Amino acid sequence: MISLRSVTKQYGASLLALDDVTLDIRKGEFVFIVGPSGAGKSTLIKLLYREETPTEGQVIVGGKDLGKMRRREVPFLRRKIGVVFQDFRLLQDRTVGENVAFALMVTGFTGRDMTKSVTQVLSLVGLKERQDAYPGELSGGEQQRVALARALVRNPDLLLADEPSGNLDPGTSMEIFRLVERANMYGTTVVVATHARHIVDAMRKRVVELRKGAVVRDVRRGAYDY
Amino acid sequence: MRYSTGGYLLGETGKSIWRSKMSSFLSCATTALSLFLLGIAFLINLNLNFMFTVVQNQMEIQAYLKRDVTEVQAAATVEAVRKMPGVSEARYVSKADALEELKVMFRDKTAVLEGLGNENPLPASVRARTASPADVPKVVAEMKKLLTVDDVIYQEEASRRLASLGRASQLVSLGGMLVVGLVAVMVIGNSIRLTIDARRHEIGIMKLVGATDEFIIGPFLLEGMALGLLGGLLGEGMVVGLYTWMVGGLETVLPFIPIAKLTSRTAVDMLGIMLVTGVAVGVIGSVVSLRRHLNV
Repeated sequence: MISLRSVTKQYGASLLALDDVTLDIRKGEFVFIVGPSGAGKSTLIKLLYREETPTEGQVIVGGKDLGKMRRREVPFLRRKIGVVFQDFRLLQDRTVGENVAFALMVTGFTGRDMTKSVTQVLSLVGLKERQDAYPGELSGGEQQRVALARALVRNPDLLLADEPSGNLDPGTSMEIFRLVERANMYGTTVVVATHARHIVDAMRKRVVELRKGAVVRDVRRGAYDY
Repeated sequence: MRYSTGGYLLGETGKSIWRSKMSSFLSCATTALSLFLLGIAFLINLNLNFMFTVVQNQMEIQAYLKRDVTEVQAAATVEAVRKMPGVSEARYVSKADALEELKVMFRDKTAVLEGLGNENPLPASVRARTASPADVPKVVAEMKKLLTVDDVIYQEEASRRLASLGRASQLVSLGGMLVVGLVAVMVIGNSIRLTIDARRHEIGIMKLVGATDEFIIGPFLLEGMALGLLGGLLGEGMVVGLYTWMVGGLETVLPFIPIAKLTSRTAVDMLGIMLVTGVAVGVIGSVVSLRRHLNV
């Protein structure tokens, strides 16, 4: 599913975000990327949905070399990837339902199909009753569930999350991760960059630890620390 | 609740024009001003053609007769000229008639006439008009062939000057249109930039969820087109309004100046040109702005 081959990412002359990273993630895996701030976690996530391209090495997702991918192919890659961020990135002037529908609309879905998919995914995250509310009227946890619903509405092959619980209390964070785990059980590959020690420790998934841009640990059923 | 793509484009366009009312208004106004100048150029052209026709119709061809031509020969010459193809009117002006004309023309400058004494140096002539200005050169050539005719003159110079005056004023108004048009492109571009800034967050999300560049720029292009179109309508209104008002005024104050009437046919032609140009200005403005401020 994902293969990083000797990937280096350099910003400007002095900042080395990733240093010779080689990593394979199989289809259907659930992987936590952990490490201190500035270790390169976000950069790694950005490389996977081609927000960034590697300075050196290869990033292969779903059989495609993203470094060589043409600009006009990028939207089609992203339609198979759901992304969730710490700051939710919802449109404040649109309802919950419209925010989720947005992901379908920009890719050409219409009318009935769209309405059905939106309702289904909102039921999955437990927000079906709130689909006419605006993001400003929701709690942080609910907003993140909307963002997750938007990421999942197209049944993506890959779900990426960059600090999805960064703005949430521990209980709410766990709710979000249970939903992510559920998507993973349906077959979506999941890569989560996180600081949430209690969650990583509780879920016992594969853990990849980055320090100063390099992989220092990669264990199955791992914990946040050694 | 149903979710549909249908009204998305139009909805976004309307919303963003409304959201930046001032800038949208400025865009329309500068586009309108530019197109107003285009309309002026168009109307100058219309009037020049009209005047050209009027003046050429008024232009007489004068064939001066030789000194020894008799009254009978002169009458025959008039007849011959009258029968030439393209000639609508021909008349004989005797030496005495010519002197009378001169006296009328110089009635304030008696010195000129006194200098003549009792002499009449003016030749008799045949004066002709043609049905169409295009016939003038042919008729002139025919007249020159007549044995009784000494020399033929017509106001070639006047028509040449009129034409070059026309070209000059058209160039000025078209130049003005280009300059203001460029400003319009920039102002529309700025309006689009405001929209881009207002929607940057949304555009980021669109890219994230896999919208193509074409889908993203759709509403911006439509906004530019709409602004250009509105500018075109406004420009047409300004031109038609001003022209109708001016023609009404001039006809009472200066009734002898020939002014072309603005027919509805001409107004529609002009509207077509303005709308197409307006939309082009809008699209260029959007594209320039999108290229500069949005990485698509």
